[in-house]
Amino acid sequence: MPNIEIDKREFVELTKTDFDDEKLIKEASFLGAHWHNIDGNVCEVETYPNRPDLLSVEGLARAYRGFFDIEKGRKEYDVEDGDIRVEVDGSVKEVRQHIGGAVVRNLEINEKVLNGLIQLQEKMHETMGRKRDKLAIGLHDLSTVEPPFTYKAVEPEQVSFKPLEYDKQMQLGEILDEHEKGQEYAWILEDEDKYPIIEDKDGRVLSFPPIINNQLTEVYSGTEDIFIDVTGKDKETVLKALNILTTALAERGGDIESVTVDGETLPDLTPEEVELDPEYFRDVSGLDLKESEIIHRLKMMKYNATGGKKIKVKVPCYRTDVMHQYDIIEDVIIAHRYTNINPELPEVDQIGEQKEIEDTSQVVRDIMAGAGALEAMTYVHDNQENLTEKIGRETEEFVKIENPLSKEYSALRDLMTPSLLEVLKQNKHRAYPQKFFETGNVANLDESYTGASNKKKLAFIQIGDETDFTDAREMLQVLERDLGIELEVKEGQEEFFQEARSGKVLVGGEKIGFIGQFSEEVLEEWDLEKPTTGFELDLEKVNEELKK
Amino acid sequence: MKLSSQAIQVLEKLKETGEKTVRGFEEEGFDQATVNRALLELEENELVETEEQEEIVQEVTEKGEEVFENGSPEYNIIEQLDSGINPISELSGDTNVGVGKAKQKGWIEIDNGRVSLTDKGEEVDIDPVEKKIENGDFDDELEERGLIRSEPTTTKTLKLTEKGDEIDIDDIEEDFNVEARAETPRTGKKHYYKEILNFARQSWMEMGFEEMEGDYVVPSLLNFDALYTPQDHPARELHDTFFVENPETADLSEYGDKVEHIKQTHENGWETGSKGYGGDWSREEAAKNVVRTHTTAISAQRLHEMDINEEELPKKLFIVGRNFRNETVDRTHLAEFYQTDGIVVGKDLNFKNLKGYISKFFEKMGYDKFRLIPSYYPYTEMSVEVQVWDEEDEEWLGMGGAGMFRPEVVKPMLGFEARVLAWGLGIPRIAFMAAGLEDIRELYRNDIEIINQTPVWRPDWKR
Repeated sequence: MPNIEIDKREFVELTKTDFDDEKLIKEASFLGAHWHNIDGNVCEVETYPNRPDLLSVEGLARAYRGFFDIEKGRKEYDVEDGDIRVEVDGSVKEVRQHIGGAVVRNLEINEKVLNGLIQLQEKMHETMGRKRDKLAIGLHDLSTVEPPFTYKAVEPEQVSFKPLEYDKQMQLGEILDEHEKGQEYAWILEDEDKYPIIEDKDGRVLSFPPIINNQLTEVYSGTEDIFIDVTGKDKETVLKALNILTTALAERGGDIESVTVDGETLPDLTPEEVELDPEYFRDVSGLDLKESEIIHRLKMMKYNATGGKKIKVKVPCYRTDVMHQYDIIEDVIIAHRYTNINPELPEVDQIGEQKEIEDTSQVVRDIMAGAGALEAMTYVHDNQENLTEKIGRETEEFVKIENPLSKEYSALRDLMTPSLLEVLKQNKHRAYPQKFFETGNVANLDESYTGASNKKKLAFIQIGDETDFTDAREMLQVLERDLGIELEVKEGQEEFFQEARSGKVLVGGEKIGFIGQFSEEVLEEWDLEKPTTGFELDLEKVNEELKK
Repeated sequence: MKLSSQAIQVLEKLKETGEKTVRGFEEEGFDQATVNRALLELEENELVETEEQEEIVQEVTEKGEEVFENGSPEYNIIEQLDSGINPISELSGDTNVGVGKAKQKGWIEIDNGRVSLTDKGEEVDIDPVEKKIENGDFDDELEERGLIRSEPTTTKTLKLTEKGDEIDIDDIEEDFNVEARAETPRTGKKHYYKEILNFARQSWMEMGFEEMEGDYVVPSLLNFDALYTPQDHPARELHDTFFVENPETADLSEYGDKVEHIKQTHENGWETGSKGYGGDWSREEAAKNVVRTHTTAISAQRLHEMDINEEELPKKLFIVGRNFRNETVDRTHLAEFYQTDGIVVGKDLNFKNLKGYISKFFEKMGYDKFRLIPSYYPYTEMSVEVQVWDEEDEEWLGMGGAGMFRPEVVKPMLGFEARVLAWGLGIPRIAFMAAGLEDIRELYRNDIEIINQTPVWRPDWKR
């Protein structure tokens, strides 16, 4: 979730209201942006990815003017006709197809405004821009270049300029290799032979999107006229981002001027019109609000709304998240405040029910604990080594993870026994003998549509100076006695048990698990120094037998 | 003579061996406090005397371990000189210490920023420092360099006196003290965390919910796409989600036409009344198996499996299950954690009802004060964060998310329009507080003492 820092004085100035800190911390979160901390004038605000329009103090102030009833309804932004053109050359089509542009004039840019703009740009890159892949923004001091501008793709060696933060002429290829930003974002262009640039009438480069701008056009305190470019792979996203930036600058008193991009006049700040059925609203929300009350709340969320059988809603041009009537309904309830809603349980005739296997496993847990074993709870993910070498197995038959951050999560276990050996290892400093059991899930490869399914298992382990095979056998017999089914043990060798101390457990002739005393090699692998014995059973098979 | 039963036991043990350290008693399962109490009694009766021995125990420090693994800094320097490097600026490793020590030992000479081996240095073929650590040959140099550490410890040995040796145990009368505490036996016991999870399951069942279940390995389709999470959403990146190498993909024909409906919903909204996200949706991406990151994947699966008529609604379902995130594990984060999901599917449900179910659940779990605040999830709208009031710390704690499933989720999976109240709530925090833990990893560490000592939890048992 993106966090931004804003200056409270600016927020006060833009909302024309002097909020006290406590009110902001306490109530501002009800809009859906969390005010975590106010330290002097520095406010730390966390916003959600569906509202990139809140990533600036200008955007936040606009939203809170509505939410706190200071200025309701949609804000109209005037766009003056301009004559700046951006030509789009066919060569960018395969590289980074879409571009939007706008001009904002007569700004008073100071250090704080500038920092806020950089923050907005960076946070938009991170979130809706998917690390600049889907979207990249450039802001330029318009006085340094000469329109019209051209957006085109060129060979890496064809063009050079002095990028920001580097005081030398560099070719595009060099920028990708040597410049910090080039290295960071080169992956976006890795499949391309040609790279996109925006240049002016005289062939001066404004920007090499999505990587870096030319030093020449850098915006500074005192810049009055700004040209905004947004490039990307999805047109809708590019245009929305352009609207967010343009209107944020207009909130600062700038005058928006249109730009003709490939024949289209931008920015397009026309609100989208949608309908909200008040009946549907009442149904979904459970709130019995009058039409006028719904309209009032819509205006608090900066929509324009007029009545009728269905409410006609105008969605502000900077909102990216309104896809369905549900989204509008949510905003009305937010304005009403979630905290003002009374919980209500509907009448539903249904009797609670647990999974049969869960019931069986509760019974088994009672039996095992009653027989003196301590219940363990262990991880399902495991180190591949624990499932193979460390228990003397050679198998590839388990779920493997492609991208674990640590090799401790490189697999999902297909056996519980290694987990219990680990538990013994963790308790070496405690008194002996020790007995543990666990009922839990493993994942087994199978013929299901994903190729792997969970299986519920019971495992038991005991360690101590006097411990031997018989201890496991005794515990198995306690289960047999209390469940009232026959658990037959036949000879059968498992890799991790000693020879002649290893058996398979059968129910109705079918193998459902194993029992045995661990081999010296396995004990050594787990750093255990006393005789250890245990068993592991398929609880689902036990359950089937119980039902027969 | 009268002695307590514990004192008699200790005396009996000593009669077998003549002497024994307190530690030795502990190793045989005696409780340290019991031995010390018995000792007082035995000393009073002049049956036993003690001998305390101060001992210096030396052990290798972390820094020492590192030298043992990688060699001493000075040895690393002369090894590099062997391979021909000699400008001081090109040497790597801990050059500060290395060059200093090597010079001090007369192994190297430095001239104008260039380092060369002396004759003495040429002769060094094993690392003397590493060797000392390996042989346990601990000297002052190692200690001064912080490679080993000396700590004084006291060993207390219990010895029979002459009187103690002579006395016949059968002549001692057992002094029975009803007020004395016995040792609490170690018994079998269920794990406190599992019991809390069970309490949560029980609560849902009391509220009339039916239990769901599902697998850990699910296709991205269930974990993300059916939940209207765009294919370029950051949560689908490798550092958040465990992707599965084997079995790599799922056969999505399991979901028949629904895959196509999901595709269209993402691209243009299909028949859901939504605009969709636009862009292209890839079936290959959706077929990739992941280890589920939330039990909400199982709620989505259940919508698909329901095969229900509209008349049979509403239906209430829950699951308490494990989920997995590809995160770095620390005191507050695990890569594996429990969550409880619930859905209520019906035609006439509303947001007030959502608040109703969640408040009821948390009431059962022992929280009287709770609130919902706006949040965001791709699959719900209203999206809310559930917070409960923590009396002790006097703050609102986030307990998970909830909302109403978007029509973009419900219609493709269920096959018709309905309202679905949904939540995914965290439980570890409750267990964490119940057991008084400070490190969440402890939940899965299975320390015998902690499992034994943690009392049974009930929300209204204030202790």
